[in-house]
Amino acid sequence: MLVIRMIPLPCSRIKHRAPAALLQPATSSEMDRGQEPQAAAARGVEVSLRRFDLADVDAMMVWASDPQVAAVCRWEPYESTDPLLAFIRETVLPHPWFRAICVGGEEERPVGAVSVTPTADACRAELGYVLARAHWGKGVATAAVKRVVATVFAEVEGLERVEALVDVRNAASQRVLEKAGFRREAVMRKYCVLKGQVKDMVMYSFISTDSLVE
Amino acid sequence: MEAEAEGDVSLREFTEADAEALFEWASDPRVVRFQRRDAYAHVDEARRYIIDHVLPHPWYRAICVAGADRPVGSISVKPTECRASVGYRVAHAHWGRGVATRAVSAAAAEVFAEWPWLARLEAIADVENPASQRVLEKAGFTREGVLRRYVVLKGRPRDMVVFSLVRGDREEKPAEEANGP
Repeated sequence: MLVIRMIPLPCSRIKHRAPAALLQPATSSEMDRGQEPQAAAARGVEVSLRRFDLADVDAMMVWASDPQVAAVCRWEPYESTDPLLAFIRETVLPHPWFRAICVGGEEERPVGAVSVTPTADACRAELGYVLARAHWGKGVATAAVKRVVATVFAEVEGLERVEALVDVRNAASQRVLEKAGFRREAVMRKYCVLKGQVKDMVMYSFISTDSLVE
Repeated sequence: MEAEAEGDVSLREFTEADAEALFEWASDPRVVRFQRRDAYAHVDEARRYIIDHVLPHPWYRAICVAGADRPVGSISVKPTECRASVGYRVAHAHWGRGVATRAVSAAAAEVFAEWPWLARLEAIADVENPASQRVLEKAGFTREGVLRRYVVLKGRPRDMVVFSLVRGDREEKPAEEANGP
């Protein structure tokens, strides 16, 4: 579903590989609506991360089948749980760092996922996240990303840098990263193709010596 | 295969017979200083590298100057999705003459022509390698930013400057003239 690097191929053959930044508001009014509640809620949002289980497939289906969520991802909305079970089995469970996002102590039913995927260099890995639409605009993604950078450097040997690539037009997702303490480094022009469109992507990073944001 | 040429710099495919020439720069600490690989100690390492890495590579070329067949450096382009990354190295004796700049320009022209899916050619240069940064600027690349602790080089994480040339750039903004004869 997201952020799994396949063997590098020309773009026409890539199936799965999503950059971070999956909270694309469709209109500017949605963005405005997202700003206020996010600022207030972030102080009170209780988020925990845990490993996935096959039993999470129904909860995962909520965001995996949502066309508005899929619109900013590389994958198409899932129409049944069988391929999603295959995804959990083949990609999520063996993944070095893939976590379910749970809110408000509701451990049984995740509302999203976050992953940190290794790259060709042991010192850097790529962050990706996805959230069910019902939980957008509440500071959940920001809280989840803060938890990631607070824990992942201790858990992954040799990791010095967590990076995230965000569509230049996805201001909401850029704000998530900025609030979590990431630094904006560069706009990478014509970096990748997403659903037939070549995209400019902003590169963000959080390195092991950066300060955690409370 | 037609060799792409720029001034007196031309690119051609490698053969095993180039092992000694490759060894000359691959064994030079000054040349490999900003590369992952350590300096080679024996020409057999260069021969193995040609067989195992260069010949099967999607795009790897020898840099030749002034019509001489013996290469003075190499340049490679590695494709990923809609982009590709370029790397190059030149024997120390040929530094400071614009050889790398012309090789990068020639390689860019060739890969944009050969790969219609290619939207972006990118390169990274160590923050402490201004000579390589100048090569890319002179070849018409745009400096996009600094990627912190991006790669591990000889055991230490390094900050890298990232540059790109996108398909639209080449029509609008020709590369500066390279210095040199």
